[in-house]
Amino acid sequence: MSGAAAMPGLSKAAGAFTITPHKLSICILIQVYAPPSQTSVPFPFSSVAQHNLLGSFLLSLTKSSEDIFEPKLDELVSQLKEIGGVLNHWLSDHLARKLSSLASPDDLFNFFNDLRGILGGSDSNVMDDDQIILDPSSNLGVFVRRCLLAFNLLSFEAVCHLLTNVATYCKESLSTYELSHFDDSDSDTEAPMHYENMDLENLVVEKVNKEIESRYVVDDRFSFHNHAPKALVRADEDRDFSPGPQVRKINKPREVSACASSSYDVSDSVDSPSGDFLRTNWQIQGYLLEQADTIERQGSSFPLNAFESVLKDLLKLAPELHRVHFLRYLNSLYHQDYHTALENIHRYFDYSAGAEGCDFVSSSSTGCNSFGRYEIALLCLGMMHFHFGHPDQALEVLTEAVRVSQQQNNDSCLAYTLAAICKLLSEFGVSNMRGLIGSSYSPVTSIGTALSTQQLLYVLLRRSLKRAESLKLKRLVASNHLAMAKFDLTQVQRPLLSFGPKASMKLATFPSNVCKELRLSSHLINEYVDEALLMIPDGAFCTQWIKNLKKPKGSVIFSQENECRNNTNAFQFCGQPCSIPGSVLQLLGSSYLFRATAWEFYGSSPLARMNALLYATCFADSSSLDDLALAYGKLIQYLAVFKGYKEAFAALKLAEEKFLSLSKSQIQLVKLQLLHDHALHTGNLKLAQQLCDELGVLASSVAGVDIEIKVEASLRHARILIAANQFSQAAAVARSLFCMCYKFSLQVENATVLLLFAEIHKRSGNAVLGIPYALASLSFCKSFNLDLLKASATLTLAELWLSLGSSHAKRALDLIHGAFPVLLGHGGLELRARAFITEAKCYLADSNFSVSEEPEMVLEPLRQASEDLELLEVSQYGNK
Amino acid sequence: MGIKENCRNELRAAVRQLSDRCLYSASKWAAEQLVGIEQDPAKYTPSHTRFQRGSSSIRRRFRTATEAAFTSTPAAGVSHLTTPSVPEDDNEAIDNDFYLLAKSYFDCQEYRRATHVLRDQTGKKAVFLRCYSLYLAGERRKEEEMIELEGPLGKSDVVNHELVSIERELSGLRKNGSIDSFGLYLYGLVLKQKGSDNLARTVLVESVNSYPWNWSAWSELQSLCTTAETLDSLNLNNHWMKDFFLAYAYQELRMHTESLVKYENLQGTFSFSNYIQAQIAKAQYSRREFEQVEVIFEELLRNDPYRIEDMDMYSNVLYAKECFSALSYLAHRVFLTDKYRPESCCIIGNYYSLKGQHEKSVMYFRRALKLNKKYLSAWTLMGHEYVEMKNTPAAVDAYRRAVDINPCDYRAWYGLGQAYEMMGMPFYALHYFKKSVFLHPSDSRLWIAMAQCYETEQLHMLEEAIKCYRRAANCNDREAIALHQLAKLHAELGRSEEAAFYYKKDLEIMEAEEREGPNLVEALMFLARYYKAQKRFEDAEVYCTRLLDYSGPEKETAKSLLRGIRYEMDVEHPPP
Repeated sequence: MSGAAAMPGLSKAAGAFTITPHKLSICILIQVYAPPSQTSVPFPFSSVAQHNLLGSFLLSLTKSSEDIFEPKLDELVSQLKEIGGVLNHWLSDHLARKLSSLASPDDLFNFFNDLRGILGGSDSNVMDDDQIILDPSSNLGVFVRRCLLAFNLLSFEAVCHLLTNVATYCKESLSTYELSHFDDSDSDTEAPMHYENMDLENLVVEKVNKEIESRYVVDDRFSFHNHAPKALVRADEDRDFSPGPQVRKINKPREVSACASSSYDVSDSVDSPSGDFLRTNWQIQGYLLEQADTIERQGSSFPLNAFESVLKDLLKLAPELHRVHFLRYLNSLYHQDYHTALENIHRYFDYSAGAEGCDFVSSSSTGCNSFGRYEIALLCLGMMHFHFGHPDQALEVLTEAVRVSQQQNNDSCLAYTLAAICKLLSEFGVSNMRGLIGSSYSPVTSIGTALSTQQLLYVLLRRSLKRAESLKLKRLVASNHLAMAKFDLTQVQRPLLSFGPKASMKLATFPSNVCKELRLSSHLINEYVDEALLMIPDGAFCTQWIKNLKKPKGSVIFSQENECRNNTNAFQFCGQPCSIPGSVLQLLGSSYLFRATAWEFYGSSPLARMNALLYATCFADSSSLDDLALAYGKLIQYLAVFKGYKEAFAALKLAEEKFLSLSKSQIQLVKLQLLHDHALHTGNLKLAQQLCDELGVLASSVAGVDIEIKVEASLRHARILIAANQFSQAAAVARSLFCMCYKFSLQVENATVLLLFAEIHKRSGNAVLGIPYALASLSFCKSFNLDLLKASATLTLAELWLSLGSSHAKRALDLIHGAFPVLLGHGGLELRARAFITEAKCYLADSNFSVSEEPEMVLEPLRQASEDLELLEVSQYGNK
Repeated sequence: MGIKENCRNELRAAVRQLSDRCLYSASKWAAEQLVGIEQDPAKYTPSHTRFQRGSSSIRRRFRTATEAAFTSTPAAGVSHLTTPSVPEDDNEAIDNDFYLLAKSYFDCQEYRRATHVLRDQTGKKAVFLRCYSLYLAGERRKEEEMIELEGPLGKSDVVNHELVSIERELSGLRKNGSIDSFGLYLYGLVLKQKGSDNLARTVLVESVNSYPWNWSAWSELQSLCTTAETLDSLNLNNHWMKDFFLAYAYQELRMHTESLVKYENLQGTFSFSNYIQAQIAKAQYSRREFEQVEVIFEELLRNDPYRIEDMDMYSNVLYAKECFSALSYLAHRVFLTDKYRPESCCIIGNYYSLKGQHEKSVMYFRRALKLNKKYLSAWTLMGHEYVEMKNTPAAVDAYRRAVDINPCDYRAWYGLGQAYEMMGMPFYALHYFKKSVFLHPSDSRLWIAMAQCYETEQLHMLEEAIKCYRRAANCNDREAIALHQLAKLHAELGRSEEAAFYYKKDLEIMEAEEREGPNLVEALMFLARYYKAQKRFEDAEVYCTRLLDYSGPEKETAKSLLRGIRYEMDVEHPPP
């Protein structure tokens, strides 16, 4: 009764294969496809192409993973119609006839006896050229053999059940089938087609596919659980939006309402539970994997409830398939449902012990030790807390994961965990490690305990990278390189040992390191170039093929020859999805997105723009919606800075439509930013303050989480206060901001804050006090290679000098002229306008300069400035 | 007296009516209660009263406290107001012949034949029996199919194929008002299986309001009341059967005190009811009053030696008290009575577990689960066994299944936490401990387990641990682990005042219970030192002198402490 259930820790023979009416139909069709002892083009077929097409179709049917249920007869018939052409009637008639002729258990026995006849013997080397014999080790051959075996194992009761099920299966589709049958007979009386020139060698295709299958199985072993670690890479990545959530048939549970209870129609009783059959385990696993990918890619726009109900059906039909719980976890995770996610992740790992990732071959063979793999549970739980923005819990759990992985010698899990911790440290501001990692992660303790978070991060990054390299975890290596690049971009590497004579320390970042890391990360794709096609899971391949059958064929109607479409289908089979796995593309894409950010930092706007654009165009298909929104956001901001608000708002509108479904998206952030800037420029301070508050609310309330947004909100707040001439308050805000940046060692932001101080002093008329701040900001910019920010700091410095009196005008002018190349080449409209105006002011302040002599020297910059400011819709410039 | 007589008459009729409709378990229940009513000694001969065995020794021992409470109320039958009239049986002779045949078939478990015989009958009784036997036929087929159709990944969703047609017929009957309360019960049953819980609840309420003596209907209704709110929202007529229902429902909702009060009230009328005794035992068991439970079960077994129901709980008590021979005796007895009852297997499993033969124990638990896959305590107990066998993944799996069957099973949550803690994942385990503590906040063991989790060297979150221990100390911590730990943790954190407070409290309890041991010595030692440091030398001296009673290094330390105290006292108050 509860054979599997009563044996916890062991899952039942996972590859179990049951005979269902649908499989019976496939067998019947295979019999048509490969009738015993026939000539090269057997009876119903008129051409080799047609024959091959049926073969491909059958192959796809046995592999595709588009749904959890097997298709009903009418669905099968309608698919047959797509490939059958003129044969359609014959095939579906034959199918219906055969199925309805199965009236007693004995018929089934006879059918399977006959079926055996189509298999060639294992020693059938002597093959006639024309004769079609199904190779027993080909895909279809294996399928037939599995069916035969499964049938032979059936008890008599089960055979009876099969018979009843076949009857139901036929009856369900009877009405629709009849209709479509007559419907079709009128329209489709065209001449048969001849495509003899097409000789796709079926056998070869099958062989290849089989190899693919075996590789896929091997490769999948660990990759399943990678769904969580994949989120590691996510934030700096990209993804795209495949329009329209999948349309799927959902069997709604039949809830009987009080009023409807008396009015049952007959169909209700016919619709017995035997109506739905699960596909093979392999197909379902494939389906779940695909869905997991889609959830990750689409995030919150994935249809939560529809998928949830599919999962519930699946759970009911296959309670021992624990992976369903993981999918439920993913689904609720991406819909920000903390409690359900927590519940399901625990349930999944309780049942599967983390060992289910490899079960579709055989659970016992892959060396899952008796302990189970609960460290993976910890890793996933840690990533979950990370996702929900609970840094403390995440760190605790991940620390535990490190410890348990070490105990269990699970090196790859350790590598992923380290990467996750790095991600956590770099993403969240963890100011105080409380000796968490230090105490348990021995390699770190050996270095010394007085490490700052950033130094610790550096050490961990290095180790994680090394570990991933030695374990040949290609994707992890790539994402570690990315993380390293991020570190190099934002942090100065300090020597770990701080005793001894201080050697000449160069406190600066090295852009070349960033570049190197990025390039190393992109090497990942090279790994997949050689392996090309072999990486595609052919289940997905077949699914795609079958789905294409169903696509509306609007264009075909207008094409000259109807038969053309069979032709294209056949070709589509070879020319389908891109051969590089989605996760790799995703990683690769994130490196471009990262490049855009890096160039933003370094101050090259064309390069930043180019990389963001490249990302949005090339990686849209493989990227997650969130990342794509990020790229769009960047592009919109560039527009605002360089082209003014009008264009930016137009673009924003487009983007908003595109990302309508995302709940908490980058686009929302960008919108607030734009509106705020606009309000500030037009002098509407009240609105600006309101928008600034809204922006602040987007950040999580947990300390250290969403720091970027928090910093930005404070910065904007300070700017509003400056604009309102409330300098002391502005200074207070800036001071607290500086403290926060210092606490979480956000050095790049510190440069900005220092500049803000300089600005406050400038505006409040204390130029002397402002100059040290401007200089400090300058030196920060220098050591972090922030060229654009440096130029703008120089500009501020020039303004400060200028306000000290006309005697400093010359010095100010020199400073401006020195910064002009960067300011004009890369600066935004506002910065340029400011530079021009300051330049003009310098000229005017210079006592040696007379306007009447060279009016253009002053007028030209002012004209430029006014043009730029007009685009920005600035109502009043400065406080003059 | 009239109340008892009334109940007796009602039950007598009910037993007849229920067994006439083949509702055997309900009629069994009714008959048990019937015999459970205290007989009027004036009317019956001694032989009769002797049948009502062993007198009420338990009551004498345990009920004195509540005695006063329920004598002041007018006994159990407060809610008598609307005793519905007993329905008349339809009596057409020919119909009756068919009915008799059908009933005989039914009794021989030939359900489909019974249905067939009654195919054209329209009497209410006949319609009910037809539908009921059809339902049972469907159920039996379902059980068979469950095995036949087991899919590669566990069960496929087998349902009773007859449900639809039965539901259609019964809903029609209900519409035109020609349905009796038995039909309503069956209708409710069908609706519940089809998942329309709300309607099922309404229908079952109708059924029990019109015919309250059908215990099966009540228990179906109970299973639909998963929260106290749903229970309160039921619109039930007052009847003494309602008290049985409420007591049962309270128990399932873990409102043990309320349930106990109800049962004790009912015992006023049904003073010899085995059922009520067993239920009281159940409630006491969940309050961990093992002594009382044991007494009740002993009495129960004396009266009803072949009883198997609820005996698994008795075995748990015996297990907890480590009564080897009593447990083996019980196992032997149930084994002889009916070895293929899940309870029997569970008892044997418990016995082997107590003997330390965990493999065999698992085998019997597994057998119990084969007989009833939803047998909650067997899953949990099997989890315990796997923990003993160090097979943690299997243990986790077993516990998880228990939790998925009933998410309120705090024992299984606790087991999960323990299993993970064993694997060195204390932080992960906390999730489970939190769950279990949430469900059963009055159990000190759970709080202590959680505190120990926080205390592990990996987590070392002592503040949280202290909070948990404090909760544990507040809820009746018998072994006084919590107090001791609290004292120790506070001492560790340098808060000597709190530490002294807890050590003192701990000491008081240990003194009261006359317990000795290292904890006592530790407490004395700390207090001696503490008071010395506080310059309360007299107190310090008292503790030091007590320490002198013990041998070992403590004695020496105490001596030197005493010397120090004397010296300091002399310094402060030089002797005259």
